[in-house]
Amino acid sequence: MKRGKQAILLLLASLLLVLSACGGNSSSPSGQNGGASPSGENGGEGGSGGKSGSGERIQLTFWDFHTEAEQEFFERMVAEYNAIQDRVEIVYSTSSQSDYTTAKLPIAFTGGNGPDIFMISPGDFMKFANAGWMLDLTPYFPEGALEDFLPASIEAVTVDGKILALPYELELLALYYNEEMLKNAGVDVPRTWDELLDAARKLSTDTVAGLILPADKEPYFNFVWYPFLWQNGGNVLSEDGKTSLFNTPEVAEALDFWGTFFREGLSPTKLQQHPAEIDHIGSGTAAMQIVGTWAINRLEQMFGDMPINVAPIPYPADGKPATDAGGWKFAVNANSKYPEEAAKFIMWVFAEDPERALEWATEIKFAYSPRQSVVEAGKEIYNKGLRKVFTEQIYDTAIPEPRYPAQVVDIVGDALQEVMFGRDAAEAAEDAHQKLTKALQELQ
Amino acid sequence: MKASRWSARKRQEWATAYAFLLPDTVGLFVFVFLPILYAFYVSLHRWNAFSPRAFIGLDNYAALLADDRWWHSLGRTFLFSAVYVPLLFVLALGAAVMVNALGKKTANAVRTMILMPFAITSVISAIIGVFLLDPRTGLINQLFRQIGWPAQQFLGSPSQALYCIVAVLLWINLGYNMVIFLASIKEIPRDYYEAANLDGASGWQAFRYITFPLLRGTSTFILIVTLIGSFQVLDQIMVMTKGGPVNSTQVSAYYIYKVAFEQMNMGYSSALAFALFIIIFVLSLVQLKLLTRE
Repeated sequence: MKRGKQAILLLLASLLLVLSACGGNSSSPSGQNGGASPSGENGGEGGSGGKSGSGERIQLTFWDFHTEAEQEFFERMVAEYNAIQDRVEIVYSTSSQSDYTTAKLPIAFTGGNGPDIFMISPGDFMKFANAGWMLDLTPYFPEGALEDFLPASIEAVTVDGKILALPYELELLALYYNEEMLKNAGVDVPRTWDELLDAARKLSTDTVAGLILPADKEPYFNFVWYPFLWQNGGNVLSEDGKTSLFNTPEVAEALDFWGTFFREGLSPTKLQQHPAEIDHIGSGTAAMQIVGTWAINRLEQMFGDMPINVAPIPYPADGKPATDAGGWKFAVNANSKYPEEAAKFIMWVFAEDPERALEWATEIKFAYSPRQSVVEAGKEIYNKGLRKVFTEQIYDTAIPEPRYPAQVVDIVGDALQEVMFGRDAAEAAEDAHQKLTKALQELQ
Repeated sequence: MKASRWSARKRQEWATAYAFLLPDTVGLFVFVFLPILYAFYVSLHRWNAFSPRAFIGLDNYAALLADDRWWHSLGRTFLFSAVYVPLLFVLALGAAVMVNALGKKTANAVRTMILMPFAITSVISAIIGVFLLDPRTGLINQLFRQIGWPAQQFLGSPSQALYCIVAVLLWINLGYNMVIFLASIKEIPRDYYEAANLDGASGWQAFRYITFPLLRGTSTFILIVTLIGSFQVLDQIMVMTKGGPVNSTQVSAYYIYKVAFEQMNMGYSSALAFALFIIIFVLSLVQLKLLTRE
């Protein structure tokens, strides 16, 4: 009897701890932003909710991850939209990017509390598409707007003939480098893989990293590696996404090249700041960094006096140049109570008046708009300073970021990390090929 | 007559006791037992959180047995516990005995200092950990360079990352466990020590034969709660390493999280969570039995 009671007590205690741990983990992601993070479904900050006195307006939640100028842009869009009509009130809130698609959104959606309006990146696109969380936006494009978008950008968000998200930026990767450090080390701007490796070796010191690459497993990690893979003629999956192409020498070489930087200590295996932040090279703790178009505006504003320049990502002597075109997309919750109203808002921001799309892609951040009319209108800005390098030398080599299922992203990430920490690249590629084949079977 | 009046009173006491317990019990039932039962129910299905659930019996549990990643994550979890639990126990007990031996004012100051990190949110503590342990600019490596030791990769090294997370958790949780020990130590009657002193017992002997045996109940509590907690470490790992490098910190709780919220495989992740629950339960039971054996 006594033993039975003890067992029950213990059961209770362990259950409690299991649950309290679960509770703790769902609340911690929103806590990371300090006090400023929204309390999710309760409707965000009091400031923007102040209009609720007007009564019958439909409230739509819009969760975002942007910060600084980009956050201000969306805040302004929301305020403007709330002012020009009185049917809908958009309630905007934002949280840190590192938790946004990996914790905050999935947890909210699985609990049935997803926001009406949200952002999605290619790395997580299929996860949300397969779960059926994104509304088909096809009927909501204003007349003639769809034709203005680059066909490839619409293709990248289309599943089974349904346009599941609204693309609004194309972000390209490039090699940023500190001209002065290169000059002092007697290194030319690297153009090939061998030159890149050689430059990193010469530029690395105790406190300056030769080349910043992402090291933690997440979709961005794979995103930065894909250009190296494509330059070498390799790919992860076949065109139709059904077979693994991972057991080729091209893949193994690209894995090994990436791994070399970490094995030789030229790229840090742990970073304090996210590898997508230009601050590494901006603050002088790195000589070279692979990062995207989004970094240019921050570079000009924060690190304007640093001698930083941009070049295409180096490619193998017998390969071809390539870069990755990523970029976030706007999406509407398929389970929203007011899908039409939510879709109307996102179309208003990025598919109607080209002014707003142009401001986003030029003044707020630097990216290429997927709308041809917008790129045309912004011609002047696209040729300003470092942007010219992107427009003239990089834009034409861009390949849209593939949208692979989470399992595939995970397996590729594992292979990369194994090679970074000493595993033979051909072996890792073969192993990943087996796992990919198995995972693809299970997914079908 | 007298006996029945006694039992009437006793009955009333019971009624009052149960009345007080009722809200908690209902809360536990609704927020703890129902979700657990629901998780078990979900674990018998193939479900991505949005599609209709398809019943597949025990297939998820069969898949679990053949899942290398699951076994790897369990291995990491056991290693983590094997390092973390004994260390926390010894350090907390040691700190409690030390603080108890200090003068009142000093003791208060030292106790507060050791307890302070417990007030830090888990995510913030992890971020502080990342800063301190940064291979290039972190304080710890700067210290190492000062005294002529080679700089370490810490969280960037597959062989060190797990121990770095242990260190951060020790730093956070040491104070709380010390306070529990301290409270129990204060309850030990002073007479015992005076008697031991008269018999010429040394400080170590007093600890070995008085303090330690009389702390048995507290020790049992701390060991079990710490063990359970160590099987569920997640926040710090999410922030500090995301399970890396090369999955060296991918403990079971984090693997379950990934299967659930990255791969959206709710059925399978529920099965994993349930398996972890059984493991924790059995381990705690064994531990309790060993520790309370007379």
